[in-house]
Amino acid sequence: MEPAALMKVSNLIKHYGDVHAVDDVSFSVPKAEVFTLLGPNGAGKTTTLEILEGIREADSGSIEIFGQQLRHIDRATKERIGVLLQEGNFEPYLKVREVLRLFASFFRSARSPDEMLREVSLEEKAGALVKNLSGGQKQRLAIGVALINDPELVFLDEPTTGLDPQARRNIWSIVSGLTASGKTIILTTHYMEEAETLSQMVCIMDHGKVIAKGSPRELTARLGQETIVDFVAAEDSTLPETLASCCTIVRGEGGLVSVKTNDLAATLGRLLDWSRASCTPLAEMAVRQPNLEDVFLSLTGRRLRT
Amino acid sequence: MRGIVYLARAYLATALRERITLFWFLVFPLFVLALFSAIFANVGQTTSLTFDIAVVNLDRGSAGRVDFAASVASTFRELSQPGASGSEPLFKLHEPAAGGGDTEATLASEIDALKVGKRDAVVEIPAGFSDALLKAAEASTGSALPAEIRVHTSGGRTSSDMALGIIEQVLVRVDRHILTQLGLFDGARVVVVGRQEVGSENRALGYVDFLLPGVVLMGFLTAGLFSVPGTILFGRERRILRGYWVTPLDVPRFLAGFSLGHLALCALQFVCVWVLGRFAFGAHVNLFQPLPMLYLVLSVATFLALGFLVAALARTPNAGMAIANIVNMPIMFLGGLFFPTGSVPPALRVIMMADPVTYLADGLRASVGVNTASFPAAVSLGIPCAWIVGCAIVASLRLKWDVGR
Repeated sequence: MEPAALMKVSNLIKHYGDVHAVDDVSFSVPKAEVFTLLGPNGAGKTTTLEILEGIREADSGSIEIFGQQLRHIDRATKERIGVLLQEGNFEPYLKVREVLRLFASFFRSARSPDEMLREVSLEEKAGALVKNLSGGQKQRLAIGVALINDPELVFLDEPTTGLDPQARRNIWSIVSGLTASGKTIILTTHYMEEAETLSQMVCIMDHGKVIAKGSPRELTARLGQETIVDFVAAEDSTLPETLASCCTIVRGEGGLVSVKTNDLAATLGRLLDWSRASCTPLAEMAVRQPNLEDVFLSLTGRRLRT
Repeated sequence: MRGIVYLARAYLATALRERITLFWFLVFPLFVLALFSAIFANVGQTTSLTFDIAVVNLDRGSAGRVDFAASVASTFRELSQPGASGSEPLFKLHEPAAGGGDTEATLASEIDALKVGKRDAVVEIPAGFSDALLKAAEASTGSALPAEIRVHTSGGRTSSDMALGIIEQVLVRVDRHILTQLGLFDGARVVVVGRQEVGSENRALGYVDFLLPGVVLMGFLTAGLFSVPGTILFGRERRILRGYWVTPLDVPRFLAGFSLGHLALCALQFVCVWVLGRFAFGAHVNLFQPLPMLYLVLSVATFLALGFLVAALARTPNAGMAIANIVNMPIMFLGGLFFPTGSVPPALRVIMMADPVTYLADGLRASVGVNTASFPAAVSLGIPCAWIVGCAIVASLRLKWDVGR
């Protein structure tokens, strides 16, 4: 049985002149799951999210949220959602606890700032000015602000962009904790690994359109039983013809070569022969299973982060 | 309501923690007050060479003889006419309506006007003046006689002091004329000028009393013109404001919180400037009265509205600061915040008359008796109100509260 949807979006359209920022986007967000909009920069993820958060208005389409059909996100709905904005900021000369207290004051009912400080592990920074926080700390504060009203639905727009790996993992840990407590999360990201780690449902967008939907496992399963061999070679190097006849080869930036194959042993043998014969080292060679990046690649012919 | 109070607190906390804001809000006004007070301490604050005076004639004349009191009043009336070359008259004379005789009530009313700065002096011709003058003149010549004209002035106010000096000269002429008329002129004075100071405490008001209201308004102006566009435009560009719009907070509540915080900051600034002026420079001017307070609150509101206008006209924070800088200097100096504007060239007078600072500064100073009001209270209060409405209309049509909206 399909889980109940907390939000349903149907045929959402937003144009800026001739640019179709959001082009007939439809999806539904299951309750108590992480739903991820995945796509490269400019795919329309943030515009879609901004419409759902009430920052922008759609040209057409419908939004059903908490069982109510809405044209605009009204005040009552805002009481029940939490938002972490992409590139959002706070007054730099406010202290961390003051920011939480300020945002708490905007809602009819809110959690205590001290409780939030504990939840996002910022107790020690409670008296620090926002301007003195690191990128990861600022982002944790932003999550604290998004959760201050104990929302049922949380929007996280690229929550880990620009963070170092440690800070990113801290955010992932907080997000995982939220789903465990029954919150529904709509996440946007262009990090394939983030989507795979956190999401139960992924919606891949490109050029304002939804190009694939499903769980990460369902999406990667669409690529069949293929295995992928990645390595780095000189950009002007010529790969053996025998390889091209039995595999799919995609060349990316920085000399990255991805070879998709159903016969790993034969492919590896041919690659090693070619490497020896042409004196081309197979630098940074790795054998892996397909991921969401490969799904995107197979659908668009481009990598996510290009 | 809770959100409004917390927004106000956040605004105040931010302003007091940011060094550059703190400098412009608090240090700079105090610096200007200290600097100008030290340099221009002995400068008078007369705004015009025409003095507002009232002549109150309580004398009923001398039966069957010359009415000397009427003659004195007539002399002042002549001096309140423009010169043959169109030059400004020496006096702007206030007299009771035609047909109504002067009474003690008239005198009391004129003295009240003197106290609040609407008159520079009140000339009182006491009852029995003509009889006393005649009796004294006939009894003895060559000795000082007790007939007296009282001149009420506001102690220490430069324009009042200057008016007294001129009135004394006028009365010497009147004196000689009367004695000549009686055939008794021998150089001795008959008409005695008595000076009587009025005012709440007979205080000696000086340049610092003129300057203090100006510096308070300058602080409000700087705060409104720079802080409002700064907060809004930087907040918009850095997406701080966007963070508010995804919560139940709406623009009217944001504006209420913002304005409350701004008012609190201006109140703090006012207290600091007043304390320095009062205790370091000996200012006596009493701004803690209903009418001056009304002018102060109206000033904060007017400059807040001007700040919103700048924010509405600018697309970026840098553009906002540039517009604020361009606007600030002329309206500050032409508004007469630091110096009287009586000598402003006619070409600039147009700007001066459109400048809300002109009316606020004039009204505020008149309300505390520092100078004579140049405009009726309805004008001094009405024009800033008109500015507030105008700015609010433009801001509501043009001001964008979020990037791309």
